[in-house]
Amino acid sequence: MEKKKLAEILFEKGKRLGFEDMEVFIKSTTNFDLKIFKKEIDKYSISNQEGLSFRGIYNGKMGYSYTEKVDETSIDILVEEAINNAKVIDSDDEEIIYEGSEEYKEVCTYNKDLENISKEEKIQFALKLEEEALNLDDRVETVNHCSFGETSEYSLIMNTKGLELENKSNMALAYVSVKVKDGDDIKTAGKHIISNDFSKFDAKKLAKEAVNEAISLLSAESIKSGEYQTILRNDVSASILEAFTSIFSAESVQKGLSLLKDKLNEKVSSSLITIIDDPFMEEGISSTGFDGEGVATKYKKLIDKGVLKTFLHSLKTAKKDGVESTGNGFKGYKSSVVISPTNMYIEKGKSSFEDMLKGVKEGILIIDVQGLHSGLNTVSGDFSLSAQGYLIENGEITRPINQITIAGNYFEVLNDVDEVSNDLDFILPSGGYIGSPSLKIKRLSVAGK
Amino acid sequence: MLNKSLIEDIINTALSTGGDFAEIFVEDRYNTSLLLIGGKIENAMTGRDYGVGIRIFKGFNSIYVYTNNSNRDNLLKIAKEGAMAIKGNKKDLVLDFTDYRVSNNHLIKIMPSTVDKSRKVDLMKKAYHAAKNYDDIISQVTVSYGDYEQNVLIANSEGLYVEDKRVRTRAGISSVASKDGEMQTGFFGPGAHMGFEFYDIIDIEKYARESSRIAKTMVYAEQCPSGKIPVIIDNGFGGVIFHEACGHGLEASSVAKGLSVFSGKIGEKVASDLVTAIDDGTIPNAWGSQNIDDEGTKTRKNVLIENGILKGYMVDKLNGMKMNAEPTGSSRRQSYKFAPTSRMTNTYIANGKSTKEEIISNTEYGLYAKYMGGGSVNTTTGDFNFAVMEGYIVRNGKIEKPVRGATLIGNGLDVLKKIDMVGNNVDHGQGMCGASSGSIPTNVGQPIIRVESMTVGGRKGDE
Repeated sequence: MEKKKLAEILFEKGKRLGFEDMEVFIKSTTNFDLKIFKKEIDKYSISNQEGLSFRGIYNGKMGYSYTEKVDETSIDILVEEAINNAKVIDSDDEEIIYEGSEEYKEVCTYNKDLENISKEEKIQFALKLEEEALNLDDRVETVNHCSFGETSEYSLIMNTKGLELENKSNMALAYVSVKVKDGDDIKTAGKHIISNDFSKFDAKKLAKEAVNEAISLLSAESIKSGEYQTILRNDVSASILEAFTSIFSAESVQKGLSLLKDKLNEKVSSSLITIIDDPFMEEGISSTGFDGEGVATKYKKLIDKGVLKTFLHSLKTAKKDGVESTGNGFKGYKSSVVISPTNMYIEKGKSSFEDMLKGVKEGILIIDVQGLHSGLNTVSGDFSLSAQGYLIENGEITRPINQITIAGNYFEVLNDVDEVSNDLDFILPSGGYIGSPSLKIKRLSVAGK
Repeated sequence: MLNKSLIEDIINTALSTGGDFAEIFVEDRYNTSLLLIGGKIENAMTGRDYGVGIRIFKGFNSIYVYTNNSNRDNLLKIAKEGAMAIKGNKKDLVLDFTDYRVSNNHLIKIMPSTVDKSRKVDLMKKAYHAAKNYDDIISQVTVSYGDYEQNVLIANSEGLYVEDKRVRTRAGISSVASKDGEMQTGFFGPGAHMGFEFYDIIDIEKYARESSRIAKTMVYAEQCPSGKIPVIIDNGFGGVIFHEACGHGLEASSVAKGLSVFSGKIGEKVASDLVTAIDDGTIPNAWGSQNIDDEGTKTRKNVLIENGILKGYMVDKLNGMKMNAEPTGSSRRQSYKFAPTSRMTNTYIANGKSTKEEIISNTEYGLYAKYMGGGSVNTTTGDFNFAVMEGYIVRNGKIEKPVRGATLIGNGLDVLKKIDMVGNNVDHGQGMCGASSGSIPTNVGQPIIRVESMTVGGRKGDE
């Protein structure tokens, strides 16, 4: 109630100073995080925080401002700064305050049970996670990272066109990474689980996944440079897709920063590839009934059997293209509207991972890539990434590989997919919850020895 | 920002269950960011970050709580919540806060908040036109502008009470060159611990043209060949190789846990004799500088490696206790939302004796990386990677042709030993460094260097 009152005072002040339509977006978050190192609580953090974003139309332009001091002392500065910011905008793209969609789909993103489980039980889980990992194999020297965290969020959009939307969500995340050592050979591997259903948190299973992977990488060596038939494991393919999500943003397309420009309804990838953005996915971390502008979200196929069907739109980009917003205009309280996906994934195929592996006579399986923030160019589509994985010979994994890079162009890679597995999985969310099955690529450049 | 008696109450509450040490960090920060795409201002944002973080130590463990709500009741409530995570006996502490005024090494002439936004916009448009008009092949230019004034107050149960103001300014120019359905990019992002006077001492149009020159060069470049070859890395932002390959591994956060390849190696030879590496938070007005670190310790110049011998680490208070080492003024955090830990400030490799011409003319075949992109490292294994933004093949001692799409990979300990030539033209570049205590401004620097052999990842088979 208090926050809605604050919004009303802001609107009143704004109206007096010359704003037409105005909107307030408030986000409150509570966090609980803990880290275990050598049987002790190494880090323990609790927090409550909130932020308020204000925006409004002043002389036809949208001005933004925000504050983390969410009280009446911030009102004057919010309104004044938003005016100053509106004054410098000279983009011709029109931004509007939205009156709301006719209908919103109910999406459940909050699980009350998570908050009813005691902190003590969560600490015990994290302690057990470390212990399990340490005891699985003598070569596990240290559990270099073992953490549990949970977040619960409340957000509110209120505007002078009568829109008022609220949402509540929560989730928990556990991550474990182990350091294994055999002589001078050191390897690490990490695994995570994310859900708001605590009963899914299985310490033993998670520890085992991380340890098995780290052990399997011991005595890895590089391979000869060349072109290899390559399987990108589900999580690797999802990470690369995540790094390239901006190519689907209508904003990037309109600004000439995406090579998908002018390619609507054209074939842009292998016909085995279908990419979906599904805001209603069950257990999707980015599930939501409305976006940051208050537009109802919708299910859509971005690429359908290789054909580009739509871009991701906000109200602004949709108006410019003469289409409807896809409900992908999101904002944090510190940012203006940015286009991002919700739960976005490559649809799974028919082969099992094992069958896919069997089909490779000589090739490589990539299970980890590094340098996604730097070794990849979303504008050109080029990437060159540090990688590790395994050599595949006659359908079987024969040895681990490291100190290699894989390089290519993402648009070419999507064209070169010749098999899609049925092992769809999702990676840690950041600006969208991204998933992929494992993909087999005809050939990829590898630099090694 | 908060009065002393309230701070004393908070610290006493935080220690009420037997904690050994308590610290409070108050932050009030004003941010401005502007974005120009294709000649028009698309976004303008101004905002205020405000929050309080309280940290409590018990033994080697630490508790961190933070909030935006700074009213007395809420602060005492969260201090109590933090304290409840510790099981021990009550302590009573009478605090005698001394005002540790630090001298200001980083004079600011023009506070960004006093500059009208239209002047910032004019600057961005100047940069835009210089980049766009560089060549017809430049299809798009994006210019970003950001500044902030961060006011902090740090006090602790040892009687420390100190305030500091950090003012930072940065602009970024990104150019796209298009040819036959292909696009390549160039980027330049100068920044400093300075006010708006920064733009009086740099020529923004020069940086803008340089960004476009890189994009144009790369759109005409061939794919980089791959394989293990000698690599020459130019001065300035090239220092990112030391930052990723070794800098992170010298931070106490991984050293104290025995998780770094450099743990327990003080006094040992870890690099070629030619390598002297320094982290210096005191360089006047440099991007990564500040008067005090985020625990209130004065920043200083720390020699990490001297003529190849490991001399020291970057140490924060908590990890220093574990390692029995003094803090080195290296404790940093993005904001009150993060507990601080040891991080880099301005890190660089010191000058050697060779000239750029000597290094290139002494290389029969190799890659010359003129500008680097970013990179990352696994500090536990030391394996690192980073991207080359502008590269050339060197053949018979001469720069032959530009190549694109190269990534360099290797292992920190290994690459340090393989540095076989160090130039005499040290310079610095600006970046944002992400790690456990958030994203912070850091300088990287070096003179031109040569690494005897490194794995270069490109798309063309080896030559």
